[in-house]
Amino acid sequence: ERGGNNSFTHEALTLKYKLDNQFELVFVVGFQKILTLTYVDKLIDDVHKEFRDKYRNEFQQRGTLGLLNGTFDFKDDFLRLLREAEESSKTRAPTVMKTFEQSLKSQKTVKCMIETRGEKPKEKVKNKKNKGSKKEGAEVVAAPGKAPAGEKPLSAEKEELSKDEILQRNREEFFKRHMKAGERSSKSPKAEAQKEKGKKPRVWDLGNSNAKVLDYSNSATNGSAEAPPGEEFDPEIALGDRNREPGRLYDLEYESDDEVEEEKVLQNPAKPSVKKGGLGGMFGMLKGLVGSKSLTREDMDPVLEKMKDHLIAKNVAAEIAVQLCESVAKKLEGKVMGTFTTVTSTVKQALQEALVQILQPQRRVDVLRDVMDAQRHRRPYVVTFCGVNGVGKSTNLAKISFWLIENGFSVLIAACDTFRAGAVEQLRTHTRRLNALHPPENHGGRTMVQLYEKGYGKDAAGIAMEAISYARNQGFDVVLVDTAGRMQDNAPLMTALAKLIAVNAPDLVLFVGEALVGNEAVDQLVKFNKALADHSMAQTPRLIDGIVLTKFDTIDDKVGAAISMTYITSKPIVFVGTGQTYCDLRSLNAKAVVAALMKA
Amino acid sequence: AMAGGLEPHLEALRRELRASDPAVLSVLLALLAVAVTLLIWRFVQGRRSSRKAVLLLGLCDSGKTLLFARLLTGKYRDTQTSITDSSAVYRVSNDKSANVTLIDLPGHESLRLQFLERFKAAARAIVFVVDSVAFQREVKDVAEFLYQVLVDSTVLKNAPALLIACNKQDVTMAKSAKLIQQQLEKELNTLRVTHSAAPTSLDGSATGGPAHLGKKGKDFDFSQLPMKVEFVECSARGSKGEEGDADFEGLEKWLAKIA
Repeated sequence: ERGGNNSFTHEALTLKYKLDNQFELVFVVGFQKILTLTYVDKLIDDVHKEFRDKYRNEFQQRGTLGLLNGTFDFKDDFLRLLREAEESSKTRAPTVMKTFEQSLKSQKTVKCMIETRGEKPKEKVKNKKNKGSKKEGAEVVAAPGKAPAGEKPLSAEKEELSKDEILQRNREEFFKRHMKAGERSSKSPKAEAQKEKGKKPRVWDLGNSNAKVLDYSNSATNGSAEAPPGEEFDPEIALGDRNREPGRLYDLEYESDDEVEEEKVLQNPAKPSVKKGGLGGMFGMLKGLVGSKSLTREDMDPVLEKMKDHLIAKNVAAEIAVQLCESVAKKLEGKVMGTFTTVTSTVKQALQEALVQILQPQRRVDVLRDVMDAQRHRRPYVVTFCGVNGVGKSTNLAKISFWLIENGFSVLIAACDTFRAGAVEQLRTHTRRLNALHPPENHGGRTMVQLYEKGYGKDAAGIAMEAISYARNQGFDVVLVDTAGRMQDNAPLMTALAKLIAVNAPDLVLFVGEALVGNEAVDQLVKFNKALADHSMAQTPRLIDGIVLTKFDTIDDKVGAAISMTYITSKPIVFVGTGQTYCDLRSLNAKAVVAALMKA
Repeated sequence: AMAGGLEPHLEALRRELRASDPAVLSVLLALLAVAVTLLIWRFVQGRRSSRKAVLLLGLCDSGKTLLFARLLTGKYRDTQTSITDSSAVYRVSNDKSANVTLIDLPGHESLRLQFLERFKAAARAIVFVVDSVAFQREVKDVAEFLYQVLVDSTVLKNAPALLIACNKQDVTMAKSAKLIQQQLEKELNTLRVTHSAAPTSLDGSATGGPAHLGKKGKDFDFSQLPMKVEFVECSARGSKGEEGDADFEGLEKWLAKIA
């Protein structure tokens, strides 16, 4: 599902690959990373075409047995193609150095080269005009006659001039300079005028391109000047916008206006292309329904656009939606569709498969199984919870300890959140409640849950280490370490977290993320992983092993956060939190989530 | 009473048919013809594609693709990790004209469930290939995959015959089939407890499936499963190296029995 880009780097080698979806072939080229070979893409394309044409019959007729039995003697062809590709990259003759006469310097007189502040722009304009080789032209018209003609192209808003015009002006310049040195002074005001026209400010196409319209500061200040008196005197406004400060809100509106306008501009050019595709698309659809049509990029693009917008509407992070659609496009390009399948249905199915594949983890995290293993080795199983502020770490920690107790394992909760007020008390209340639900009498006289805390303000990593050794001595099965919430940009806190994890080497590092998060999920996970990798001393750093997705009951079917998180980390979602009571702990059902995601 | 109720209806139908003009009649006949055709077609389809597939499942690098190639062509081939399925028709060696479709599925974790989903309904039998050399290391992963195959609802319903092929027996450190069977039974015993104790799935259905492998109360045993399970030792590479034949008579005999 990550088929978006087509190159892969491993140690000293770079691999570039190309997929042939029609015959299910993969072409891979490997070369040393330090060499930048320009002919690789062309080589792959040529090899692909030749191989396909040469063995097309075998693929089509003899199927798998043909593949197994056939001899594919392609070596000579490949060597030939390689030689051709190498030669084609060498055919460009090395550029000959310009002689002094040809260079620009010879065309400037000494006076020109003296740089003074005021004259600098003039010189630049002159250099621009002298670009290109000099030529002795016979058609030299008188300078004033040509000058207005030369001005015309510059007065157009384009800054690039056609070659002919450049040549013309070069010729004039050359002859003018050699014949009349005095003319230069008359040229300079013209040059300045031309320069101003040439460097006209970029005008945007939105409505009146007036500097006044582009300046929003007036309206903002006007608005904010009006609002405060209004707030003080009008209670309804105050009630309506209880928590706002006047200046801030106006800023937000201003930003969104800009974005809306940009979107409109972007959509306008996109619309005509869609309309054009409509008519052609109708016949294409009919042809696609009946015959066996192979998918092209143009067919898939409108559908993929729609799917991408649909995914983004379902709260999948924008860059991930784009990458997903890219990879689906790559996977389907050139594939032959069966009869009675439309492009839409094929694309939707491919996208669905990709989504299910993303959500189904590579290695299923079975916590109970691993706890049993640790139990056998007489050491506690350590789980660490990390995440940003307010996602539900402590609540879900309590839910998970309840689940573990139900399965007969004793739990030690380590209160390593020494910062937030009430964190330790919260855990103490949970411990009390859990012990009330599962009193020691039911479990052979041992307390199932205990809290290990050292108050506030202490070093979290130290508390964790002590908690783990305490658990080992007392024979607890699981240690759940609760850490303080921290923003991913907060470097000292991230260092502290990385140190905690590196020093204590927990068995499972769970990242707690809420399902309400949107594009932030990408940033959070990337920065958390990066911090863990950077500050770890070991060869293979401990990264996030699993994700706990919380507040799942607050989203109806906008379940895109699950996709974003698993895509970024490739780690499974181990638990899903669906509420605030102890029983609201679920495991992920990939098919149900994908169904909710694809539902229109 | 049923016939009595039917008679007046038939009479009314006959009267209706006689009274109406030919257009309606022809339309009705056409519809009837289409319905009959559809029924026949569905029936024939059902008969034709009645589960003739034998799936080759297993972890990565257990030897599925090599076994596949050996069974079909008898020759040794260098294989790569499969990323897609391969299927071909395999003719059983003795003179029965029976044939089965061998399907080789990728074993990689990110692909295996997806392909199993696609082909499980067509499976008449499943060959689960186990790497006997790396078994000690991989026993948990092998058991996890086997468990996922066994609790699948379609698999339980169809109960295809299961053969656990302990591959790579040509290597001296390979474990015997008996040992593999015992270890798998123990591991599956633990797994069914942990899976059924896992939190329930999002849409309410339990993750372990409503099925509980084997009998409750007793230790798990392969004989408790609804399908026939056999263990066989084989070697796709063969004891004489790449030139010689593969060593899998047990597998071939079992395939002949299945077909």
